[in-house]
Amino acid sequence: MAISKTCDGVHRRDFLRVGAIGAGLTLSGYLRMAQAGEVQPGAKAKSAIFINLTGGPSHMDTFDLKPNSASEYRGTFNPIKTNVDGVEICEHLPLLAQCADKFAILRGVSHTLGAHELGTEYVNTGNRPIPSLEYPGYGSVVTKEKPGEQDIPPFVAIPNSNQRPGFLGVQYAPLNTTATPRAGQPFNVRGISLGGGITVAEIERRANLLADLDRTFAAVESNSQLLTGLDRFSEQAHAIITSKRARAAFDISQESAEFAKPYGTDPFGLSCLLATRLVESGVRFVATTLGGWDTHQDNFTKLKTSNLPKLDMGLSALLNGLEQKGLLESTVVYVTGEFGRTPKINTRSAEGGRDHYPRCMFMLMAGGGVRGGQVIGESDDNAMAPRHEAITPDDVAASFYHALGIDHTHEYHTNTGRPITIVRDGHVIKQLFS
Amino acid sequence: MRIGSLSWTLAAALSLAAGTLASRITAAAENDPQTGELVPVTARFASESVEEVPSFQRHVSPLFGRLGCNGRSCHGSFQGRGDFRLSLFGYDFKLDHDELLKGEPLRANAEKPLESLILVKPTDADLHEGGQRYKKGGWEYHIFRRWLEGGAKFDESEVQKLVSLELSPPEILFAKAGETVQMKAVAVWPDGTREDVTPLCRFQSNSDQVATITEDGLVTATEPGDTHVVVSYDNAVVAVPVIRPVSELVGDKYPDVPTPTKIDELVVTKLRKLGVVPSDLSTDAEFLRRVSLDLVGTLPTAAEVEAFLADTNPNKRAEKIDQLLETPAYAAWWTTRLCDWTGNNDAKMNQLGTARQVASQQWYDWIYERVARNEPYDKLVEGVVLSASRAPGESYADYCAAMSSLYQKDSEAKFSDRPSLPYYWGRTGFRTTEERAIGFAYTFLGIRIQCAQCHKHPFDQWAKKDFDAFEPFFGKVQIAQNGPPRDPEARKEYEAMLKDLGLADTELRGNQLRTKLEQMLREGKTVPFPEIAVVDPPANRNNNRNRQPPAIKAAVLGGEEINLRDYEDYREPLMAWLRSKDNPYFAKAFVNRVWANYFNVGIVQPPDDLSLANPPSNRALLDHLADGFYEHGFDMKWLHREICNSRTYQLSWQPNETNAKDERNFARSVPRRIPSEVAVDAINAAVASDEKASQLVSNIQGRAIAVPGASARANQGGNVTGFALQVFGRSIRESNCDCDRSMDASLLQTVYLQNDQSVHTALNGGRDTWIEQISKKSTGQLTDGSRTERLNVGQELARMKTRLARAKKEGQDAQVKRISARIEELEKVAGERREAAANPGALAVDNATLIRQSYLRTLSRYPTPEEMERCDQFLASSENPVAGARGLLWTLINTKEFIVNH
Repeated sequence: MAISKTCDGVHRRDFLRVGAIGAGLTLSGYLRMAQAGEVQPGAKAKSAIFINLTGGPSHMDTFDLKPNSASEYRGTFNPIKTNVDGVEICEHLPLLAQCADKFAILRGVSHTLGAHELGTEYVNTGNRPIPSLEYPGYGSVVTKEKPGEQDIPPFVAIPNSNQRPGFLGVQYAPLNTTATPRAGQPFNVRGISLGGGITVAEIERRANLLADLDRTFAAVESNSQLLTGLDRFSEQAHAIITSKRARAAFDISQESAEFAKPYGTDPFGLSCLLATRLVESGVRFVATTLGGWDTHQDNFTKLKTSNLPKLDMGLSALLNGLEQKGLLESTVVYVTGEFGRTPKINTRSAEGGRDHYPRCMFMLMAGGGVRGGQVIGESDDNAMAPRHEAITPDDVAASFYHALGIDHTHEYHTNTGRPITIVRDGHVIKQLFS
Repeated sequence: MRIGSLSWTLAAALSLAAGTLASRITAAAENDPQTGELVPVTARFASESVEEVPSFQRHVSPLFGRLGCNGRSCHGSFQGRGDFRLSLFGYDFKLDHDELLKGEPLRANAEKPLESLILVKPTDADLHEGGQRYKKGGWEYHIFRRWLEGGAKFDESEVQKLVSLELSPPEILFAKAGETVQMKAVAVWPDGTREDVTPLCRFQSNSDQVATITEDGLVTATEPGDTHVVVSYDNAVVAVPVIRPVSELVGDKYPDVPTPTKIDELVVTKLRKLGVVPSDLSTDAEFLRRVSLDLVGTLPTAAEVEAFLADTNPNKRAEKIDQLLETPAYAAWWTTRLCDWTGNNDAKMNQLGTARQVASQQWYDWIYERVARNEPYDKLVEGVVLSASRAPGESYADYCAAMSSLYQKDSEAKFSDRPSLPYYWGRTGFRTTEERAIGFAYTFLGIRIQCAQCHKHPFDQWAKKDFDAFEPFFGKVQIAQNGPPRDPEARKEYEAMLKDLGLADTELRGNQLRTKLEQMLREGKTVPFPEIAVVDPPANRNNNRNRQPPAIKAAVLGGEEINLRDYEDYREPLMAWLRSKDNPYFAKAFVNRVWANYFNVGIVQPPDDLSLANPPSNRALLDHLADGFYEHGFDMKWLHREICNSRTYQLSWQPNETNAKDERNFARSVPRRIPSEVAVDAINAAVASDEKASQLVSNIQGRAIAVPGASARANQGGNVTGFALQVFGRSIRESNCDCDRSMDASLLQTVYLQNDQSVHTALNGGRDTWIEQISKKSTGQLTDGSRTERLNVGQELARMKTRLARAKKEGQDAQVKRISARIEELEKVAGERREAAANPGALAVDNATLIRQSYLRTLSRYPTPEEMERCDQFLASSENPVAGARGLLWTLINTKEFIVNH
């Protein structure tokens, strides 16, 4: 498992502070959700893949180069042409340059949260974090709105995800594989296939007994997010372990060598291969991560030797692979870090680094009806700020849900009647789908 | 030393409300005749003709904060905005003032005040990207204008330390939605000035579900519940409680509730205000299971449950607590928690010379030894904080000999006998003063100061200067991997040792050398060890002797400045501060974490965030426990007894109408998933044979709570325990943050319980399992001592019959008799085997016992008659009794009641 430590040293959400009773922290426990949001006719995406570039990738050294800016900004990388006229990206992303027609680049995306955990929560939920409520990650909302088939886990994280279920409750949490696939080794999420010589009939018999005996908390379950979640997990686990399809979904060794080759042997590339296969098997939402972007020091060496080649290979193989399987139209792919990095290069290390910079960043989106080969938004001369109106993470979130046919203005209601909109402040970016 | 604490501001506010602080301010035109306070700037600066010149610190800088100018999205950004940068949230007066005097045109122009950008731009929405922030001619305008006209002055030497920020009302009690209360904030300055600064404060509600607050400090009730509104001005951050009762049962209408202990009294005092009534007392079975899991991380055995339920002693709960405190599992579980908090991460010690598992194990053992003998917490911490590799007076050579001897098989020496635990300071990621300051604050103070590394936190008191003053304490501890640091004497010993080992001219370096030394160590040789030591900074040594070296200024958080040159070991004043009575965090951080272990949430939640803006849900309770802990000499067992013996801890999980939704005020036991190590051990104990299960209680060998190190990598390790520990969220001990441990439930946990190979295997009846124990098969010993299980009966019988025939023929009567007896024995075994074969899966126990024992060993209670009946049906419809037993045990392990502590 790749631990992508950031300079804050924080990995999990740890700042939620709520003192409320009857509300606040226990909110999720007694939320009574309204009917699921209406699915919009005509939406193309059935599934989604979310790739989190944790640590905050430098926009200026990846998808928003400024070759004409002054040396204290510019950096050492040069732009290269892509297979789309007029669109240029970093020279260390040659494979992505060859499939730029498949994804849209969003530039001049902007927000104000420069701490890892807050920024991460923002881009993983589409809502600016507030202290009294934890918003659910995209995968949890999709799980709730488009649950999919019972024996296939709806939301899989490779190996885990920053998308937490928030107020929706733990039953919408991802299935974490806890490991990334390794080259040349069979991959199997432990416990997914029925083992120990137990027959399906025996498991069914036990499950019936369990349903009858597990009644101790029956009267209070609706008050406890934990107890509700455990019930749901119990049903899901039962469906999954008795299903042959579920096991096959995780077995990337069933892909042909020819198909798997472009994904390479790096854990990120293989995670992309697994994501492709999971989507093909009916998983609604796959989240995966490529970390190591927190380049306060030695920005250029790190990017050139490690991050960019991994991203280039994994993401290009994913987009091409989805297309090859005819899944790109029905799968929306969203790639983002938690913020960009300072355009001005700091001088704390020999070759310089870049610090946290939420005011200007990039995001990528592909598939699921998104028109590839376009650049939306623009940053100013030194990539310091959006040149015109900023694109917000909320807007991108609204568009992401839109591609999936989920109305982002849909409201969930607490039992006290408090409405909570799926994305509070976002607007669908129409140009993405034009 | 006097430390600004969480309570001083509130205490001051309370005394204000009581009217004890009479006015002692010279009356002036702007002073309120009743309170003697300066009236708010909104009144004083309302008119064009105002003559007062405002102060930069007291008025101008807070106004930037109030107007949002120095926020992160505006000029508070580190890259500024529109080329104008202010310090984030106004922590740096000097920087801000310097910035204001720049610009083209000038931002602050004392010569031509009205042309200053700070007056022109924010009043004009077209000019200012940030829009109109205030109106021309308004009070904000006049404050800036008069400051400019007064010369736009700021003098760093005149910065004053705010005495207190007094908030009224000190607590808000709402009765219904829509009610409002206006907050008032009075700043008290060292010169005695009292000023109503309400319009210059920033306000925030910790939960807008209970109360909202406007930027002017008007609080409005929304839903029932309790929260705080947080008010900031200058460096003060004050949280004011807001309560709206959830039922009619408040004040006189509140029912009589028993409060046998001080904890209960303090909890109920708060509940009475909230209209929340505690649940009833838990049953004995619930209590035993809960306290065993919480206090010693161990599921009680079936026999223990039966004995406890049968015990008629009215004092049995208290006695059980005392008994548990003496078990090795108590020491093991709390050592695990202390290893979490101090960061025993095996992946971060691979450069400490010894194999990292060894350092982890030593770390664990060192703490275990002290927890077991109940060494006071401050003493234990002292051994960590003031640690060094060499014991006082020990030479480098002696140290290496002592460490090397630990690796010898027949060695009596134990690492835990050494006086201190130096690995704490030697971990990777914990070597710079910044990393140490942040980690140390998490671990021993339960506070987060990383924001202050760069800027003042908007809702806490720590500014960059506090962080900078805290760092120097950590500067002298160094780790030297290859021989001792800057110690010529020791260096000679190091070189002599290498020479003895034949490595004087070795070309091996780094990892290769370490591997070589490790190998020699295992061969029984004495090898040089890396050393963690207090080392003088180089600047000190190069100093001219005749000149006094410059002072090294440092201050503990909130404390006065001291000169570290006065101390041989910079950590000494730090440790003295930790254990001092006045320390506002040390005792609280520990008691709060312990409390969270028992109640699912801390009194402050998250438990490692004791910041001003994150107040305790019950301040009196936290103070009581922290004070008591101090007064009892940091006696950890006292704390556990105090909590476990309270009625509050022993309440039932069954809610009533008033407390069903409350999880922060301890009015009932909140069902929570059992922690990773405890869950893994509980599963093992539930499936183990009675003998094995009782061993697991008396001996921690093989227990998950005895696994020493943890890290993301180790948790993912290939062995069974590693995988299960990771799935259930064992701490990765990465960042000193309590969030490194996950207490969430997940689908994969359920998949593990339902279908992991290790669970199936345990239920299939392997060695030492309960299924094996109760399976009916021929077991036992023959008279010659051999075990029947290992016998091929058919072959042995044939052999014996041949020998019998021969013995008879030879007329050896004694032989005949002996062989006949053996044949009889063997035939009995053969008969049993035939029976077992004809009746596969038979059990040695009847169904009623089977069901009862299954319940006792998993859910720690007897089954109800309905449950008995349903289980009976299940067994009857099973393929055979053993299969039924397996299914039953599997089912009980998969109930929520098993994995949830309640």
